[in-house]
This record gives sequence, C-alpha cells and structure tokens, in this order.
Amino acid sequence: MYQVEASKALLKPKLWARRSARLNVPRNVVMLGMVSMLTDVSSEMVATILPLYLVFSLGASPLALGAIDGTYRGAAALVQVISGFAADRWRRPKQVAEAGYGISAVGKVALVAAGNTIGGIGAIVAFDRIGKGIRTAPRDALISLSSSKAGLATAFGVHRAMDSAGAMLGPLIAFGILLAAPARFDAVFVVSTFFAVLGLAVLVLAVQGRPKRAPRVDDGTPPPSLRAALGLARDRRVAVLLLAAAVLSLTSVSDAMLYVGLQRKIDFEPAVFPLLYVITAVAFMGLAIPVGQLADRVGRVPVLLCGYALLFVVYGALLMSSLGYGLLVLCLLGLGGYFAATEGVFAAIAGAILPEELQASGLGMLTTVTSIGNLVSSVAFGALWLALGLRGAVLVFAVALALAIAAAVPLLLRSQRAPVHG
Amino acid sequence: MASRNGKILAGIVVLCVLGAGAYIAYAALGPSSTTTDARPEAKAVLAGSDVMVRAVDPKNPQLNGRVYEVEDGEVHHDGDLACERVYYAAGHGICMAIAPSGVDYEAKIFGPKMETEHTIRLTGLPSRARVSRDGRYGAMTVFVAGDSYLGNSTAFSTRTYVVDMASGHTAGQLEQFKVTKDGQPFDAIDFNFWGITFDPADSDRFYATLGTGGHHYLVEGSISGQEMKVLRDGVECPSLSPDGKQVAYKSRIGDETRWRLRVLDLATLEDHAVAEERSIDDQVEWLDDDTLAYSDEKNVYTVPADGSGEPELLVADASSPVRLSAASARSLQ
Repeated sequence: MYQVEASKALLKPKLWARRSARLNVPRNVVMLGMVSMLTDVSSEMVATILPLYLVFSLGASPLALGAIDGTYRGAAALVQVISGFAADRWRRPKQVAEAGYGISAVGKVALVAAGNTIGGIGAIVAFDRIGKGIRTAPRDALISLSSSKAGLATAFGVHRAMDSAGAMLGPLIAFGILLAAPARFDAVFVVSTFFAVLGLAVLVLAVQGRPKRAPRVDDGTPPPSLRAALGLARDRRVAVLLLAAAVLSLTSVSDAMLYVGLQRKIDFEPAVFPLLYVITAVAFMGLAIPVGQLADRVGRVPVLLCGYALLFVVYGALLMSSLGYGLLVLCLLGLGGYFAATEGVFAAIAGAILPEELQASGLGMLTTVTSIGNLVSSVAFGALWLALGLRGAVLVFAVALALAIAAAVPLLLRSQRAPVHG
Repeated sequence: MASRNGKILAGIVVLCVLGAGAYIAYAALGPSSTTTDARPEAKAVLAGSDVMVRAVDPKNPQLNGRVYEVEDGEVHHDGDLACERVYYAAGHGICMAIAPSGVDYEAKIFGPKMETEHTIRLTGLPSRARVSRDGRYGAMTVFVAGDSYLGNSTAFSTRTYVVDMASGHTAGQLEQFKVTKDGQPFDAIDFNFWGITFDPADSDRFYATLGTGGHHYLVEGSISGQEMKVLRDGVECPSLSPDGKQVAYKSRIGDETRWRLRVLDLATLEDHAVAEERSIDDQVEWLDDDTLAYSDEKNVYTVPADGSGEPELLVADASSPVRLSAASARSLQ
C-alpha cells in the first residue's frame, strides 16, 4: 500500500499527519464534547456521593431517591421532543441547549444552598433530569450541523468518548475530595458547581451557535412549522429509520440488567460488580472514536448492525451453561463495542438524512423513540424473567433481537437511498 | 470577538480552578470537629437491660458513630469503634463503618472487649446489621448503587450477607438462596433482600424482607438449607421478639417511602400499629417482650409493643440501639 521509505524519520511525521488529518473533527464538536465532559463530571460527582450523603448526613433511605428518579425519567423523554422542535422553530439550538445546561447548573447551586432536606434533593434531581432532557436534542443537532456529512459518525464518536470520560472522572474527583476532606460533602457540591459553571461557560463562549451546515436565517424562508416537524415522521427515509430504532431498542436489554444476569450466571464476588461498569465504560470510551471513523469509511449501517450483532453475542454468552472470568471480560468489552457502534452511529445516520432545518426535532424524536423502547424492553425483560426464568427471558430476547436485526437491514438500507426529488 | 470570548473563558477557568481549590483546601484544613463534646445523652433509665448505641453527630466526624453503652442512665464510652450500624450479642459484634480510606465501607467483627477480630470489605452503604442471639451468625444488608456509569445513576439494590462470626467468613448471600412462593420456585430480576432477623431459639432460621415488583414479602429461611419461602406481603425489616412469638416491622404507607411501625403475632396473625405515629425507617430492636426501641437517625425512642402508651425518648443523639442482656453487658466490661 505504501511506498517503502528509505528513512524512518521521514515516515513517522507523515503517518502522524495522516492520522490527525483522518480525525478531522471540527473545533465546535470538540468544544461540545468538552461541555458534555465538564457537565458529566459535575453530575456524576454528585450522583456518586448522593447516597452516602443521604444516609449519613440526612438519615434517609437511598430508596427514596430511586423512586423520585424513576418518576422524572419518563417526563425527560417527552421534554426531548419538545426542546428539539423549539430549537428548530426558533432556529436557536445553542440557546435551547444553554437553557438545559443552565438548569442543571442552577440545580447544583441549589444543592449547595438547600441540599439539606430530602424534598429539596428530590426537586434538584428532578431539575437535573429535565435539564438533561432539554439539552440533548439541540446539542446533538449542533454536533451534526457542525460536521460534514462524511464525518458525522466520527464527530458523534468524539463527543460520546468525551462524554463518557466525564462520567468516569466524576466519581474519581468526588472520592479524591472526600479523601482530602472526610465527610465534607459540601466541598463536593461546591466543586461540582464549579464544573457545571465551567461547562456552561465553554458552551456560551466557545461553541458556535450557527455552524456551517446550519440553515441560513436571513434568506426569508419561514421557520419550520409544527406540521413540518411532525411531517418528518411521514418522510419515508426518516420513518423507516425511526421504525428501525424502535424495533432494535425494543429488543435491547439495558446493560444494568445484563450485569445482574452475568452475576447470577457466574456468582462472582459482589465486590467485582462496580468493575463491570468501569470495564464497559472504558471500552466504550476507547472504541467510540475508532468505530465512528470506521463507520464513516465503510458505511454506518453495517457498523450499526455489527453493534447489535455484538449484543446478540452477549445474549448468547448468557445462554451458555457456564461462564468464566475470561468470557465475562469479553462480554463486557463486547458491550462497550456495542455502545460504541450504536450510540453515536445512530445519531450520525439520522443527522445525515434529516433536513438541516429540522435536525433537532428529528434527533429528539430518535432519542425519544430509543429511550421509550429501552424502557419498555427493560420492563418486558423483567416480566419474562419472572415468568420464564433468566434463561427463558434471554432466549426470547435473543430470538427477538435476531428478528429485529433482520427487519432493520431493509429498513436501514431504504433510509440510505437518495431522496426522491421533484 | 473570538479572542475576547477566549479571554473571558480563560478568566472563568482560572476563577473556577482557584475557587474549587480554595474551597477544598478550606474543607481539608479547616476545623473538622466542633468543640462541644456532644455525646449521647441518656434521657430515661431502663430497668433490667442496658443498650448499646452509636453517637449521632454528623457535623463532628471525630464523634459521629462512636459506640456507647447506656447502663442505668449512665453513658459509657465503649472502645474506639466508629460505626454507621452496630449490633452485638453473646460476645460477638458487627460494626458497619466507613473504611479508613473515607470512600469505602467495611464491617468489623468485634469481640467482648470491642477488639476487631475480622474485617470484611463491604460493597455498598451500610443499611442493617444483626447478630443471632447465640453469637453464631451475623447478618448485614448494604445498599448498592445500581449503575452509576452509563445512565440510571440513582437506582438502588440491596445485598444481604450472612457471616459466620467466629471465622469472619461468608456463610451465605440471600441473593443466591432458592426462593419459593406458594410451593413454587420464585425468581425475578428485581429481587432485593434486606433486614434479616434471627430466630432466638435456632440461629439457623431467620426472617427477612424480599422486595420485588412493588411487593415487600416477609420470607422465612434456613441458612444451612440456603432457601427461603414467602410468608406474606407488606412486611419490611422484620424483628423477632426475644420469645420468638411476635415480629415488629415497618409497614409502607401506600407506595411512598414512609413507614409505620407495626407488630405481628406469628401464632394468631393478629397485627396492630404501635403508638409511634411518625414515619420510621429502622429495623426495630426489642428491649424485652413488651418494649420496642428504634431510632429516627437522631435519637433513640422506646414504645410499648402492644400499641398502648406513647413513644418515649430513651437516648438523645444516638441511633442503632442494641439490647444488651445482663450477660452481654457484663462480658463487655
């Protein structure tokens, strides 16, 4: 492939130049990744120590918080569609995203000021959820509009990698603070607030609100109507994509459930449990960018389908009669790969076919369909486990996922066809 | 324009880093304990039995969780253990605590002189601790944060272990026991177990709570048999009376995380509320066959088990009450 160079000194910088040229990610995407990373550090710092704080400082049961969280998760899914449309309608995705990140930052300040009652903490958790719901669709639209269509999967890969890096760093920073200042939860809340403010500042000051693919505001076309946004679902290419997202997410079991299944299977020490998340998250973080690049090069649909095939393999591992630690680690790496090949790649596929003026609405619909699908599949998996046992539930889901992948192939290929003009 | 924004951003970064650093330094170096030597204060004298408690003073890390013995209205300091949950019976105690790292949890199995005999690493927040009357088995429940990575960060599950107190080894984990309901095998992904109470007459037998699908079942189990069966719904954190005839428990109000304390007679299945009207989230301790002790995470109270009377403040600034029989109390000296 390459001409053999006489000198290695010549070869090295060239290769490096090739690599960095290949990872041609717009500055705006890196900045948005930075915003997500800082915000995730902030949220995960609090999420990690909240149970500790609740039990030891407030004398409350952590179960109280779980109940609150579940209630607002559904609400957040609906907020996504509305905020996506608002971003398109006002043609201000950046400002809508700022509102979402701002709400979460205000929540952190409130935690410092009024975090000493259970009701107060519940309200702040709800706040954080709603802020997350508001910001997701406009932020994904900004990532999409900042990238060339050819580099969309790489761009989303970079963003998701930075995002999960923040989720890994947050707990470490929180533990570091508590190590330096035992039982000083207020210090964790204060530092978390600074991270949230920093994230918001990067968004406000360093992110371009009208990136290159953003629709022109001054050309006299009216802003997209609600009818136009709803009409997206009738656009053949978008409709088949949403349908594919629905069938695939309905047959995907959440990672949390898979971990419980793996634990029942292997009977490993519960002390190992948190490590499962870490291994999966590290794999996700490490693979998100290369898999995104691969998707841009060889095609997003095949990479996405490979991702779901990896999930199918993990289901298969759960059906085996015995499972060792080696296979467990392989399963977790497979799960990380599945996240890397599906999370950002799905958004990239959507970003490439959605009209520029309806990016946020369409991406909001996609995440809503996916999150409702995941919610339903989790409930269904739990019910099947109760009725048929773990093995039966996994078997049903494995068959369903295989059928979903088979159904998704023609759907996704149709979504890739050129739109009919005229 | 861009460079002006860059300068403002740089300024904000510097301010945030300085602010966060300064606050951590202030928290780490500042006075970490209050000067007042607030410690549990006995408010009532109990005839016949003494109690062990842990001090509640969250603002004072030096004092919070320290173990005290209350004897005839006198409060004695008991060793150097600091615990989030403590229990003790027949010369064997469990102290569930924050590990020295400050970010991890461990359980110390201690002997009659409060000396640590075994240390067990815990995988979550201390929730419940019990020791069988003969000191053979201990039981511990911890809260495990479900999945703090990749979403769902505040979902919780529990794990409940049985420990052989002499060796410090795990004798069982309830999540791995077989469960039956109406004679049929029973299993679901959301199974959570908590709050073991041992049969006073046979430490191999125990009662506990099984939470699944919005139900909170009272289960009865055997450690040697590694099995449990579902008895009835709506019973959390059971606690058997010393004569083994009654179970005090938390009864959930609707779907909320609020509870009333109730007492169930195992023979007649008669069931009644006690006079405490506040929501209490604790595994009740029986001081004798007629009296319950519990904490609201601030103070320890007593209330008659038969539903009569009024709650009475027993020890202020304390939680995790443990009845010390005359024999246990003596052996602690």
